[in-house]
Amino acid sequence: MTRTIANLVTVSALALSVALGAGAAQAKEFLLGSELPLTGSLARVGQGMHEGIAVAIDMANKSYAGKHSFKVQTIDDETSPAKGVAAVEKLAGDGVVAITGGYGSNIIGPASEAAQKAGLVYITSGGVSPELTQRGYPTFFRINNTDGYALAMIGLIQEMGAKKVSIVYLNKDATSSLAKQVNTALTAKGVTVGMHEFDGSTSDFKPLMNKVKLQDRPDVIAMVGYENDYVGILRASKVLKPQVKAMVGVWSLATAQMAKEFPDLMENVYGTSMLPYPVEFTQPEAVEFAATYKKLFNKDPDYLGQFGYVQTRLLIDAVVRADEAGTLGKGGLPDELRKTDANTLIGRVTFDKNGDNLNFTHRMGQHQGGKVVLVWPQDAANGKMNFPAVPW
Amino acid sequence: MLELTLQALFSGLLAGGYYATVAVGLALVFGTMRVINLAHGELVLLAAYVAYAAETNYGVNPVMAIPVALVIVGTASAIVYALLSRIHQDREINSLILTFGLGIILTNAILSIWAADIHSTSDPWFQDSMVIADTLFAMNAEVAAFVGGLVLMAGVWWWLNHSWQGRAVRALSSNRAAATLMGVNPRKIEILSFLIAALLATFAGFAIYTGKTVFPALGHVLTVKAFIITVLAGMGSIPGVLIGAIMIGVIESLTVTYLSASLQELAGMILFLVVLFVSPSGLFGGGRALAR
Repeated sequence: MTRTIANLVTVSALALSVALGAGAAQAKEFLLGSELPLTGSLARVGQGMHEGIAVAIDMANKSYAGKHSFKVQTIDDETSPAKGVAAVEKLAGDGVVAITGGYGSNIIGPASEAAQKAGLVYITSGGVSPELTQRGYPTFFRINNTDGYALAMIGLIQEMGAKKVSIVYLNKDATSSLAKQVNTALTAKGVTVGMHEFDGSTSDFKPLMNKVKLQDRPDVIAMVGYENDYVGILRASKVLKPQVKAMVGVWSLATAQMAKEFPDLMENVYGTSMLPYPVEFTQPEAVEFAATYKKLFNKDPDYLGQFGYVQTRLLIDAVVRADEAGTLGKGGLPDELRKTDANTLIGRVTFDKNGDNLNFTHRMGQHQGGKVVLVWPQDAANGKMNFPAVPW
Repeated sequence: MLELTLQALFSGLLAGGYYATVAVGLALVFGTMRVINLAHGELVLLAAYVAYAAETNYGVNPVMAIPVALVIVGTASAIVYALLSRIHQDREINSLILTFGLGIILTNAILSIWAADIHSTSDPWFQDSMVIADTLFAMNAEVAAFVGGLVLMAGVWWWLNHSWQGRAVRALSSNRAAATLMGVNPRKIEILSFLIAALLATFAGFAIYTGKTVFPALGHVLTVKAFIITVLAGMGSIPGVLIGAIMIGVIESLTVTYLSASLQELAGMILFLVVLFVSPSGLFGGGRALAR
């Protein structure tokens, strides 16, 4: 009897180990590549996206546990287009299945071209310039675009009933495109618009804002730039005190980080924001995202992490589908990505033939008492806007 | 139109003050050692981050952080000097490569310690506005930086002209061999110059932290601006640095006001090229420029 039981245990153990072994043999590890500015002038945004990518990998490894596993190899492009290309070529040489990342349209342009030449999918949320998708590369995908940001900014300004608007914008690809799009749309609706371009090296905005104050005399000042530019513009405005009703910006402005670092400048300022702050998540995926983000980085997620997560998660799901269909090594990944139709943390995502997500629309948030309150569109709002109101 | 012009001139003057405080340390070291310290901007940035750390972690007013920053930046500056002094061949080109590399190391150290976020003082006094005759507007931080920078530069100028060590610096700058024969210890004078440059870098870092924003990639930008001003001034000229910096500040500000803000850097570079075309040694250049 004892011998029989011992035999049964041995056979069971053998069967179990064979089963586990077979399971392990079926599990595949996929290596993704990531090219991002982790140093240089775009380090802040690059690191934000990098965190979102790490969260996507962590969550995918849990949800596909036992079936597939995922790793990411990241190369710093140092905020340089040439190094972005070199990074993509290195990742291609190391056998990554696709690339997620990229920040700055001027870097993403040549880097995604290198990916196209290597036959690799390149998915991003860091470059909104229209030219990127107009190239028609079959391997290029992005989940956001200028149109989504412009619609949000135009929508809010129209709701404010502004008659005169000054747009102060950075002279880079993405920022210029967005500013011109907002200008065209507002002008068509009868709004008087003053356009003021500035260079990235500008640190004193007083001469520029004095021109806006004395010559334009706008109802609203629209800012299109990055964190550093917003701080400069808002500081100059706080000193000069132009008679405006609102200060409106786009990305990197209505964030928890800006509320924390510059509380005296941010009150009543508007910016694009998918989430209110403190973050309120209700969907299960979003709750898990926030918990994982908190676990990995000990802070609340911001919009950069959110975009980095969504683009990477969509890519991972497409990689799995292509692998299951047996087309992953045969150039089937772009087709699988193009079949994407998902409700994500940034809304519905589908890709057109150029890889653009035409569903993308942003929301507008306003800094109110150290919080970011969503104020536009009405169906997404979790509070009312303070209007007219400025930080000074 | 008059209001715009006056504000442009005033803003340009204050911006020039910032540029000068950053550039004068670079000019001093060049005057003494004939070495362009390409890590100078990163030393300025290091001082700014020390002020940030003191304010954030200990709630200390950035002004109170200056002595601590001075010790840290002085130490870093002494290390740069120690490494530079080991170069015996092709000093000009090899020192450029060395200090460029040290600048990258410092930038990445700052990035690792303090991350890539932008920072500035949270003390509201520095951002409060100062209005002169209802026409000229500035932040308290800008005016304080301008006045403080002027005082420091005047002090350095006095030191160079009226102290024994200052005269030794000028002598070394003028003729190293002759100065050594006259009893000047070149190593002592050179390290003294580096320490004075560290003092200037510390003040510049404090001024930038209180009046602008700081982020890890800023150091390189500051070095380039300081280098342009040093060359424009005439390599090693302290008064030339102030005048050159104000010229750059004013031309940039006027360009923003009357042309476009995106052309301001270009306007500064055109001024730079015109001055060099007319006077290849810079505004106050020449054989013994340090005290002029």
